[in-house]
Amino acid sequence: MKVLVLNCGSSSVKFQVIETSLEMIEADTDRTIARGIVEKIGLSDSRLAMDVPGRKTYQEIAEILEHRAAVERVLKVLAHPEHGVISDAAEIEAVGHRMVHGGEKFASSVRVTPEVEAMIEECVVLAPLHNPHNLRGLRAARSLLANVPHIAVFDTAFHQSMPPRAFIYGLPYELYTRHAIRRYGFHGTSHRFVSIRTARLLGRPLEELRIVTCHLGNGCSMAAVDRGHSVDTTMGFTPLEGLLMGTRSGDIDAAIIPWVMAMEEVTLAQLNAMLNKHSGLYGISGVSSDMREIEAACASGNKRAVLAFEIFCYRIRKYIGAYAAAMGGLDAVTFTGGIGENSSLVRAKTLENMEFLGIELDVDANRTAPRGTEALISRPGSRTAAVVIPTNEERVIARDTVRVLGGVMPSFSVPGTEAPR
Amino acid sequence: MSERELHRIGVVGGGMMGRSIATRVSQAGLSVVVRDITQERTAQVKDLLEKDLDREIDRWGLTQSEKKAILARIEFTTDLKKTAGCDLVIETIHEDFAAKRALIAELDEVLEPEIPVIINTSTLSISELAQGLQHPQRVLGMHFLYPVTTTRVVEVVKGQVTSEDAFETARRFVRVLGKVPIQEFESPGFVTTRVVMPLVNEAAHVVMEGVASAAEVDLAIKLGYEFRHGPLEWADRVGLHRILNWLEHLFHETGDAKFRPCPLIRKLVRAGQTGARVGKGFFTYDSERSRLDRLPDDTPKLS
Repeated sequence: MKVLVLNCGSSSVKFQVIETSLEMIEADTDRTIARGIVEKIGLSDSRLAMDVPGRKTYQEIAEILEHRAAVERVLKVLAHPEHGVISDAAEIEAVGHRMVHGGEKFASSVRVTPEVEAMIEECVVLAPLHNPHNLRGLRAARSLLANVPHIAVFDTAFHQSMPPRAFIYGLPYELYTRHAIRRYGFHGTSHRFVSIRTARLLGRPLEELRIVTCHLGNGCSMAAVDRGHSVDTTMGFTPLEGLLMGTRSGDIDAAIIPWVMAMEEVTLAQLNAMLNKHSGLYGISGVSSDMREIEAACASGNKRAVLAFEIFCYRIRKYIGAYAAAMGGLDAVTFTGGIGENSSLVRAKTLENMEFLGIELDVDANRTAPRGTEALISRPGSRTAAVVIPTNEERVIARDTVRVLGGVMPSFSVPGTEAPR
Repeated sequence: MSERELHRIGVVGGGMMGRSIATRVSQAGLSVVVRDITQERTAQVKDLLEKDLDREIDRWGLTQSEKKAILARIEFTTDLKKTAGCDLVIETIHEDFAAKRALIAELDEVLEPEIPVIINTSTLSISELAQGLQHPQRVLGMHFLYPVTTTRVVEVVKGQVTSEDAFETARRFVRVLGKVPIQEFESPGFVTTRVVMPLVNEAAHVVMEGVASAAEVDLAIKLGYEFRHGPLEWADRVGLHRILNWLEHLFHETGDAKFRPCPLIRKLVRAGQTGARVGKGFFTYDSERSRLDRLPDDTPKLS
């Protein structure tokens, strides 16, 4: 079946059409037929670009004022007699939606019903930057493709297996019971996908492995995946916590916040923007939020770029140690995301002198790991494996869509992981 | 009644208020047409708007790419007809009856009848301004408080003949800006100006009478009532010429002695000491409008 995957941001809609089925998933032969993006929604020069394997990129510039119009446009282009990949929008048999935040309500991917939509609406307060756009796209798609099932896949769902000791903060408990303030974690679809692929690459059952997955992209997070279940992750209540990121601070002492507000007399909005958009690699280096540019600046001797690079890798390293301790051992470390897949320097720096944890990096394999393919970068005899796995969140969303419809979608919740109410 | 979607907003007048509103609207993802009277003025407005954004970047409130996106959604023009495709037009020219009157008469010609026209004013009468237009029911008032970028409240003012549709669209517009609309009926000074002016005026009287220094009066009120600024610093930041103008207007409209401008305010305005913008008012300021003469106790405290 053909599944349309949608990922709606504030001013963009990313889409893919994926040919898939339970049998194809089993045989690992599901494939992307077309992928694309609508950018600059709300402007008069919105851009739609679509890539179809074997063809030149198709592009059009036109005014697209809101998400509904964007989804409408996508459907038109997909069914375009010349540039399209389907003959009619009716060929799309299901739609998978990427949803950022499912709160504690969703521990699995689900078919969207009016009740589910209302529950997603209730999660808006937890992710005011993401969920409203996700929801807008979902509503637009449901009204435009009213006769096909829509499935919501949540970034947070995979981490719902964390035990309370990992997700409750050391704050007054009322903040959890009243406002649901706790660690949720994000990038769950990616952590799940790459942990499964890691087991497959190593030729060992996932149920035996303790894996630390490092999703290093625009946002960065790590997860401790213990025998297939996420038991801890670095991102928290919001995607700000944990690792250093392009423009996000990651972990800081929370007491810095009132202190800076008083001393710099900044508003809450300015402070929030400071932590999310002016910090991280960019804030420390003053050079860029892009790891490629940081590496270039390091090579030309920029000291603050070097510092930013070192802090970035040091944090990952620290969490590898922490998660190995949390799981009582470590069988594999997995790198994914734009930086994780492409920066051999970050991987090498992070994993140097990790023999005590059983990681023996294969320096050459790491340096020459080909882009876009799965690769083992530890030495053959290494007790703990290090691997690179390209992530593919859209494919997971398409697969979940098929699984939900086929009635074989597992829940990630684990008995005994509820916190007292 | 079908809700009119807001995609494009017209802002007439590129002063501080107009620039702030244009920035906010663009930040919310809508496109904006900013009109000022001459080419030089529009170039200057664009330049100042960029400087406003740069200042916000320095305060970590914005990023370079957000600045780019904000600017990309704003069009600058000298042609009022360019507002014709807008879903709502707001004017922010100086507080002068005749000028505003002439402008909205022109807008009344240019715009489709159902497009709301918002008069940005703290003292003028909406109903009087709308009188004699072809479509007076589309006209209503709005009052943004200083500083427009951070203050969360906007007064939305219904005139005698303003339609419910226009009023409703205007309130939705305020929500788009991320602010809270307060619904009001037309009355001199509306709510906020009317309530705050006697406070500023009285503070100036207290200083003039020698009861306490301006700095101490301000600090007392600021700490005592948990204001962000004392009334005199606030007045300096708004501009004392504006304060004087509002007081005179309220005094004239109501005849109530509580609005009679304190002579000290008049004195400062006549000396050109109109506040933070020029570096001197009740207090002194540097070129970034940071106050220079704070009392030792007037410093940020953590507890």
